[in-house]
Amino acid sequence: MTAQLDTSRADGAPQIVPRPAAVATGPILEGRTLTKSYPLGETTVDALRGVSLSVAAGEFVALMGPSGSGKSTLLQLLGGLDQPTSGEVILEGEVISQLSDDRATRLRRDRTGFVFQSFNLIPLLDVSENVALPFTIAGQDTSRGEIAERIRDVIELVDLTGKEHHKPDQLSAGEQQRVAVARALVTRPALLFADEPTGNLDYTTGTEILDALWRSCEERHQTIVLVTHDSKAAAYADRVLVVRDGTILDTIELGRRRDHDAATLIGRLAQLGL
Amino acid sequence: MGGLNALAWRGLRARPMRTGLTVAGVTLGVAVLFAGLATNAGIETAVDSAVATMVGRAELRVAAFGEDGLSQDTLATIAGTPGVAVVAPAFERRTYLGAEAFGPGDPLPPPVTIAGIDPAAEATLHDLTLRAGAALSGDGPNDALVNATLAREDALAVGDIIDLETIDAPVHLRIVGILAGDGPWAGGGGRALVVPLETAQAAFAADGLTRVDIGTASPAAVTDALESTLLDEPYVLSSPQDIGASMRASTGDFASTTALIGAIALFAGAFLIFNTLSMTVVERVRELGLLRAAGASRGQLTSYILVQATAIGIVGSLLGVVLGAALAAGIAAWVRTVGAVALGAPVVTVNDALAALAIGIVVTLAAAIEPARRAGRISPVEALKARLDLPTARRARLRWLIAVFALVGVAGMLILPRGADETAVVRAFLVYAVLLVAALVVPFILPATARIAGLPFSLLVRFEERLARASLLRDRSRAALTVGALTIGLAMIVALGGVGQHARNAASAWIADVVPGELVLTSIFPRGLDELEDVLVTPGVASVSPIGSFALAIDGVRTDAVAMVGGDIRNDGRLRFVLGGRELALAAIDAGGAMIVPSGVAARDGLELGKTVEATAADGSVLKLRVAGITERTLPGPAGEAVIVGWSDAEKLGVAGADAFAVRFVPSATAADRAELASVARSVALEPTALGRIEGAIGQALDRVFGLFDVLALVAVVVAALGIVNTLTMNVFERVREIGVLRAAGMTRRQVWRSVVVEAGITGLVGAICGVVAGLAVGALMVVLAGGRLEIATAVPWPAVVAALVLGVVLAMLAAAYPARLASGVSIVRAVGYE
Repeated sequence: MTAQLDTSRADGAPQIVPRPAAVATGPILEGRTLTKSYPLGETTVDALRGVSLSVAAGEFVALMGPSGSGKSTLLQLLGGLDQPTSGEVILEGEVISQLSDDRATRLRRDRTGFVFQSFNLIPLLDVSENVALPFTIAGQDTSRGEIAERIRDVIELVDLTGKEHHKPDQLSAGEQQRVAVARALVTRPALLFADEPTGNLDYTTGTEILDALWRSCEERHQTIVLVTHDSKAAAYADRVLVVRDGTILDTIELGRRRDHDAATLIGRLAQLGL
Repeated sequence: MGGLNALAWRGLRARPMRTGLTVAGVTLGVAVLFAGLATNAGIETAVDSAVATMVGRAELRVAAFGEDGLSQDTLATIAGTPGVAVVAPAFERRTYLGAEAFGPGDPLPPPVTIAGIDPAAEATLHDLTLRAGAALSGDGPNDALVNATLAREDALAVGDIIDLETIDAPVHLRIVGILAGDGPWAGGGGRALVVPLETAQAAFAADGLTRVDIGTASPAAVTDALESTLLDEPYVLSSPQDIGASMRASTGDFASTTALIGAIALFAGAFLIFNTLSMTVVERVRELGLLRAAGASRGQLTSYILVQATAIGIVGSLLGVVLGAALAAGIAAWVRTVGAVALGAPVVTVNDALAALAIGIVVTLAAAIEPARRAGRISPVEALKARLDLPTARRARLRWLIAVFALVGVAGMLILPRGADETAVVRAFLVYAVLLVAALVVPFILPATARIAGLPFSLLVRFEERLARASLLRDRSRAALTVGALTIGLAMIVALGGVGQHARNAASAWIADVVPGELVLTSIFPRGLDELEDVLVTPGVASVSPIGSFALAIDGVRTDAVAMVGGDIRNDGRLRFVLGGRELALAAIDAGGAMIVPSGVAARDGLELGKTVEATAADGSVLKLRVAGITERTLPGPAGEAVIVGWSDAEKLGVAGADAFAVRFVPSATAADRAELASVARSVALEPTALGRIEGAIGQALDRVFGLFDVLALVAVVVAALGIVNTLTMNVFERVREIGVLRAAGMTRRQVWRSVVVEAGITGLVGAICGVVAGLAVGALMVVLAGGRLEIATAVPWPAVVAALVLGVVLAMLAAAYPARLASGVSIVRAVGYE
């Protein structure tokens, strides 16, 4: 919807030739004919109507679509937060869509990371404690060895070195989201899921978050699935899946680019009538 | 306005669990309060009816001192006093029935009271209502009436012949009637046999009178006249009011403690109401803000909360009155006797019910005022903000706490039992004040105490403990209120444990400290040592020391006294002297003209060492007694500790013989020797009682009363536990998003569940720690205020402390069951980021 307005201000020549993703060794994540229905009063609402997709290791994929399109539902199924009505989710060769609650929890702790739109942090823990949360939950000692090193490393990656002992309420909204990104990355998950991570932020602050995500993908080959309705955020991805009415309407290959220019994407979206 | 009230009702219905818990809190608080009122009204009624039965229509009673009783001269003087219309003399003794029925080795049967009356005179002042048979007539010297208890226990019927064991040969009596009740002889086992005065006196070869009841139209004038004419022998003159007052005094402590626990339960209930309504305000902040934006006034929002409070107060208090009546019936059945009063059914009066209802509703409303005002202050802007930062108003809450405390205190004053004397009231208020201070201190020591309380949990589940403690401390004043309610409930349990332990210790120390022997042979009538030859020659017996208890008029004040052999005490090493030389004092009482005074009586009556007092001897002469020593304590008498005199003085004072004999065995005495002694003693109508049994009997009576107090205090703890359910539930509601994040980051449901249970455990342990500290202080205070010694007062009642700790933690963790399930069931998808 906003994409239609943006077509008029497309600037610079579109980059048509996509660069291959940094690592491309088969899918790390697959969704097979996923459906999800919710009961709503007497009727049921079909949030997803048979979606299939695959994400390659090291790839940065954006799920884009207007609100109510089913993109967040899709992310919840892919991340093991919720179970599909039918279909399968396969993470690193393992079917994760029918796991027990405990196994799904362990999966979240060890192999995936999440960044939500807001309320990502535990207010009573400081920055480094929030980042260390997955280890703490697992009962690991976070104060020494490789774990401490990893925590320092991700805090540096999101550019928060020196603020390790700040409490969330002493941080700006952008800094808080960067802590959330650091926490999602600290376990070196197979996949990082980000659901509208910039939704509550202004343009400049939002860019900081997206830069941090992109750097982790570019420098550390982190696989990322980003949900957004903002084409400027989606333009950071290698590939954009356009979700509408519970199905994938189109796939837009952007390739790995340093400039994150949104013009190509906006142009393609306009062609789709979005 | 009407619309908003309807919304308030719907708000209550929308959260049935929370509303139910709060109503339950009010119900329990009011129930304990009302049970106390009904029990105390029952005590009042029991006192009134006991007095009425005892004195009938008599306006005055002259009671004898000592065994010899009042002489015929005294009776004549009383009868001749102007204004005296009727005199009813009576003679009472305790003895056994049917001497042949039991062999020498059998335990003695329960004794009976033989009451000799003048049938004609007695009938004018006392109604002896009969269930069967006929009343005593003047011309049947061997006719007898039995009271209901004796008839039931011994299966006696009209026409039966019974043998009366007396000094000489048994007397055969024919039962002509059975009393409908127990008459004035309900105390002391309740078994009584009523015979003509001359028969009773002849049976015991006595001519004295136990008491003379007086019917008169001008009691004041007769009192004055008697005080100037009755000079020859000691007596006690009392009116029905005096008798009632002395009975009531023995129930005062019980009544004021019950009222105190009632107040505490209600106070705990107020905590619960406050927290619940505060929760409603926080939870509905958006809704209330929206209403403000739509034009609702502050007053309307305030009344929204007050309407809810009123509903809770009315329903809770009504249920509380019903439950309280049931509880009171249970109390009466459990306690049976309070002080000198046999407790009948509780008395439920409309006035008491209305008072309990009103207090329940007013306390509920008082607890609601602060949250209601907070609701009124919510601004529309605040409510519509994305993030809700509600400032915690600790000072306001402390103010609220003090206000509710004062209110409950005033309510306590209004319902104060008549029997409670001033010191009991002061004690109750001091205790109440200490508990309030404890509750006020909790918010300030909460973080430090929570860290200590968290230690045991952190050893097991470190991360969950960290989360739990942080969650507990997030809203410190809410947590403090929750902990505070628990603290005062548990403090009461510890305090009562301390007081109970002190009473038991004091009782056993008392007996063991004073009685010069290991076994006591008790007699129901006075005996001389010469009657005990068989006992003295029993193998294994080292010594037998006679003890006689009686009443003494020292400078006109009735004082309990015992006659003992000073030499026996000296040899046995008993009695701890505070003042005066032990050897000298014990020799002095044997020589005569001296007495040993317990420190309590010395302080009460100003009896200093060396001071000489005057007592009236049996022949009317004056006997001078010098205070030769002051001891820590002596033997218990019916009304207090007894002064000790030697036997030579006791005889002058009219003591006919000993009613107890302390027996000491030689170290080589065998079990067979002891059994032999018991058998020999019973053959001469002496009941052997080991010191341990005496202590045990005292302990049992104490256990009964303190058991009741514990149950009532437990109700307050349960109310506090209901508060924990509410607080934890609210903490979970507020943390739903956070729990979602934790779950997304890999926290299992079990870990979430554990963190809530650990939060409850820490709450419980903090409450228990504070409760134990406050309880020990309150217990020591209660003991010291009651005249106990500090070193005993500060002894730690370990069983009560352990019970409070376990109870606090276990109840709190049980209370976590629902909120923990709620928390572990949080859906990540719904909790995080999706509104």
